[in-house]
Amino acid sequence: MRRWHLLMAGMVILFLLMTTYLNAAPAGPPIRIGASLPLTGRFSEPGTAAKRGYEVWVKIVNDTGGMLGRPVQLTVLDNASVQRTAVADYERLITVDKVDLVVGPFSSFLVIPTSEVAARYGYAFVEPAGGAPGVFNRGLRNVFFAQPASGDKQADPFAKYILSLPADVRPKTYAVVSQDDPFALGVVERMKALLTAYGKIKLVLDEVYPADLTDFRAIATKIAALNPDLIVGGTILEDSIAQIRAYREAGYQPRGAFFTTGPSLPKPFREGLGRATEGVFASMSWFAGSKDYQNAEFVAKYVEMFGGTPDDIEEDSANAFTVGQVLQQAVEKLKSIDNKQLIEELHRGTYRTVVGPLSFDAVGRPKGGFMLLQWRGPKFLIVWPSNRAEGKPVWPKPRW
Amino acid sequence: MSLPPTSVLIQVAIGGLLTGGVYALLVSGLTLIFGVMRVINIAHGAFLVLSAYLAYWLFTLLGMDPIVSIAVLAPLFFVFGVLVQRYLIARVRQEPGLLVLVTFALAITLEGVMGSLWRTTGRSVRTAYTGEVVPLALGDLTVRLPIVQLVGFAAAVIALGVLYLLLTRSDLGRAIRATIQNPDAAQLVGVNVALVRALTFGAALASVAAGGAVFSLIWTFNASSHEAWISKMLSIVVLGGMGSLPGALVGALIIGVAEAVAAVTITTYLSPIVSYLILFFILVFRPQGLLGSRIREA
Repeated sequence: MRRWHLLMAGMVILFLLMTTYLNAAPAGPPIRIGASLPLTGRFSEPGTAAKRGYEVWVKIVNDTGGMLGRPVQLTVLDNASVQRTAVADYERLITVDKVDLVVGPFSSFLVIPTSEVAARYGYAFVEPAGGAPGVFNRGLRNVFFAQPASGDKQADPFAKYILSLPADVRPKTYAVVSQDDPFALGVVERMKALLTAYGKIKLVLDEVYPADLTDFRAIATKIAALNPDLIVGGTILEDSIAQIRAYREAGYQPRGAFFTTGPSLPKPFREGLGRATEGVFASMSWFAGSKDYQNAEFVAKYVEMFGGTPDDIEEDSANAFTVGQVLQQAVEKLKSIDNKQLIEELHRGTYRTVVGPLSFDAVGRPKGGFMLLQWRGPKFLIVWPSNRAEGKPVWPKPRW
Repeated sequence: MSLPPTSVLIQVAIGGLLTGGVYALLVSGLTLIFGVMRVINIAHGAFLVLSAYLAYWLFTLLGMDPIVSIAVLAPLFFVFGVLVQRYLIARVRQEPGLLVLVTFALAITLEGVMGSLWRTTGRSVRTAYTGEVVPLALGDLTVRLPIVQLVGFAAAVIALGVLYLLLTRSDLGRAIRATIQNPDAAQLVGVNVALVRALTFGAALASVAAGGAVFSLIWTFNASSHEAWISKMLSIVVLGGMGSLPGALVGALIIGVAEAVAAVTITTYLSPIVSYLILFFILVFRPQGLLGSRIREA
């Protein structure tokens, strides 16, 4: 009897040793990382999403052997979406808590002042959501924006694709119908600059509508009569669905269609339109089904930790996760957490992330671009750039 | 500003008429409640969106067409309306200012409940006939009539017809009209005014339930959509004359057509503002509305 117990104990110990060995549990003093996020106040939603992204990254790192073999410990403070508090938080994290590394808050509004605190103490500042010009025009060398490009550049992959089409099939005319929203207007303004100035494609109608417009049937009738080759919608979501329904009803069948947001939210977009989604284009930095580096792990772990489905994950969480990926690869490559060396390494390297490979220019602006996606049947596929494409773009688009 | 071709104008005006018919259904309950109770029901838009959500739910979970779901939603909202009038509105009836606040509170409560149930994503029902059209030849011109709008318009005509028959041919209808004309006199000749008020509120919510089901077919919505819609609905009711059902119909058709024509002749930006502009001018030049009568305060 006693011998049997001994045998069991021995097996348990052996099993524990094996699992420990296989998982290569991180050991040694933790690498401490600090962040101040807007968990309350006006940025609370994206701030919370960013926190989740950081937490998923920490969990994955610690489950797979840590960073430089050491566990990672994350400290997140709530700055209530207030600049003063955010600045004080980073001062505290660096001088009182003496964290080893810091990562950025959400939005340019908070990134601009806090990155200066980090710069003063020589800390590298990889951040998930500050892409405004003001982030990059202060000559700071420690800031790195972990998204592919600034927001208005969503127009670029589609415009480039259109301009790359052979002259005989390239559209001659287009119409723009955009909501009065700073993000949507930013994208369509850039789109107009690219298509009209470079492509000499004629803009036949340029409409801006207020956020509460729900019926697009009248304007769709007017567009159907003008029959432009291409339609560009500056939309949020509901309006992209309402626009496409109205175009179908009006009998307008463009040869190409691009919408800023809407197609990029696959679940509600498909639910609202069914087969009418066919051939519609949009740009994205990240989406749940992406095959990019560690994306499958990120999505699975997120759902495990926070519930819901992959479609519930916000881009802000993915952007925060990207920050972690960049930081980890730079640290592993250096085999050091020395911030001075880290800043140099971040300027040199290219990092594999859930939004594709990222590298940074001298002021920390990302050198990448957005992906172009197109709806094909029930799927929203990457069609550009070619090294990440899941399919070739279809032109002209099938009827909707 | 450039005038589009006549074919576009004709198509757009016909579309505007179809939209206007649906607007008439949406506002019929609002004008009735005002007529009988002198209450501006700010929650009418929220009830509209609630009904649209329920129709969306019945469609998504059970595959029930929104038009069919009117048979479920109208009785449900009727009962709901009677209860709301009896236990909420009737209790504060003596304070007209307070009443508006009560209906406003009801609106934001409903918005909160809907927001937590269905989140902020815009919804709309997509049936097999969504996006399909019926071509109608008018001489050389072929007008495209979207089936959802035709179905919505037909449902609105039927629902308004039922409401009209109820008001003109039934005892309850006579009691309602008597209460609209003079509540005190109605009471004197034996009308149970309290009951009439409760039943009217029920009938008004039943009509907005039908409106919401139709709405879910034609437009997209989320919990906060009711704010924009109550403003538009009030403009229509004021234009037609508060408390007047035929007035609501006329006002609805005018605003439906005006919005659509403004979108193609001026700009889409102005289209939602058209109803407010009309509201402004009617208040300046004919405050009782097109078919309304001046309220005589005793």
